[in-house]
Amino acid sequence: MKSWPKIFVACVSTLGVAACDRPAAWLTDAQATPPLTVTEAWARAADSGATTAVYLTVDNAAMVSDTLSAVTSDVAEDVGLHISMAQNGTMHMAQLRALPVPAQDSVPLRPMGAHLMLTRLRRPLVEDDTVVVTLTFVSGTTIEVRAGVRKP
Amino acid sequence: MDRRHLLRIITGVALALAACSDRPWHGTRLDPALAAPPLTVAGALADPATRFVLVEAKESLVVLYFGYTHCPDVCPTMLSDWARAKRALGADTLGVRFVLVSVDPPRDTPELVAAYAQQFDPAFVGLAPSEIELAVLMRDWGIAAYPEGDTRTNDYSVAHPAQSFVVDRQGRLVLMIPSGVRGEELAEDLRRLR
Repeated sequence: MKSWPKIFVACVSTLGVAACDRPAAWLTDAQATPPLTVTEAWARAADSGATTAVYLTVDNAAMVSDTLSAVTSDVAEDVGLHISMAQNGTMHMAQLRALPVPAQDSVPLRPMGAHLMLTRLRRPLVEDDTVVVTLTFVSGTTIEVRAGVRKP
Repeated sequence: MDRRHLLRIITGVALALAACSDRPWHGTRLDPALAAPPLTVAGALADPATRFVLVEAKESLVVLYFGYTHCPDVCPTMLSDWARAKRALGADTLGVRFVLVSVDPPRDTPELVAAYAQQFDPAFVGLAPSEIELAVLMRDWGIAAYPEGDTRTNDYSVAHPAQSFVVDRQGRLVLMIPSGVRGEELAEDLRRLR
C-alpha cells in the first residue's frame, strides 16, 4: 500500500522528464513544418466543360490521424473525391465520402486509384497552367493546393 | 574448329532464341487467337471520315478501347499509355491504329470523341456508336458497359471494360492489355505482333 504513491510519483516524474526532454516534436514541428502537407499535385489537361482529375499526395507528419473531408475549386462546377477500381474485368468509379490520412503516413492519389474529380470545367486546362484546389480536413485544417497542369 | 566448341555455340544460340520466344507478354495473349467480332460504327452518316469498320482496317494492327470522354482517370491513363507506346514505336507505328470506342451514347457525340482521342495523339481515332450500334457491339464482343449514378442529371460514370483489345492483320483478337501495362511495355508487345 505504501509503495503505490512512490510508484505514482516515479511514473509522473518520468513522464514529465520525457515530455521536457523531448518537447513534443509535434508541437514544435507544428511551427516549422505543418503536420499536413501536400506534394506531387498535378491536374490532367482537358477542354472546357470536360471532366478531369487532380492527383496529389497528402503527408501527415502528426502523431494523430486526420481525414480529408471536402474538396473545392473554382475551376469546375463540381469537385469530388473518387476512386477507380476494377471488378471482374470491368472498371467502376465510386465516390468517396472522406479519405483517412493516418498519423505519420502519406496517402497518394494517383492514376487508376483515388483522385479528385473535376466535373464540368469552367475553363480549358492547358499544359503549364495552374489549378487551385482547397482541401479541408476533419481537424479543421485547410490546404490550398496549386496543381500544375500536365498533358492528358 | 573444335567440335565441342561449335556445339557449345549452337547450344548457346538455341538457348538465346528460346529465351526470346518465351519472353513473357505484358498483355494477355489469346492462344489460339480468336476471330475478332465485327465492329462497325457509322458515326455521323454525313461524314464518311467518322465511319469505322474493323474488317476494313486490314493491313494494320488495331488497338481498341471501350471508354468514354467524361472518364476522368482510367480512360485518359489508358490513352496516354497508348500515346507513350506510339512514341516508343516511332516509325514502327505505321500500321498500328489506336481506336477509342465510346460506351456513352447519351453524352458522347462523334465530334466530341474524335477530339478527345486526338488530344492524346492526332492519329488516334475516336468513335461514337449509336445506342443500337453499342448494344450490338457489347453482345458481339461479350463486354459490359452501363451507367452508374444519376443519368437524369448527367452526373454519372460508366462502368466499362478494364482492358484494351489488340486485333492483328488477319483480323484475329490476339492480345488483351489490362490497365496498368505501361506505354513502353505495350510498344514491346505491339512490335512482336507486327
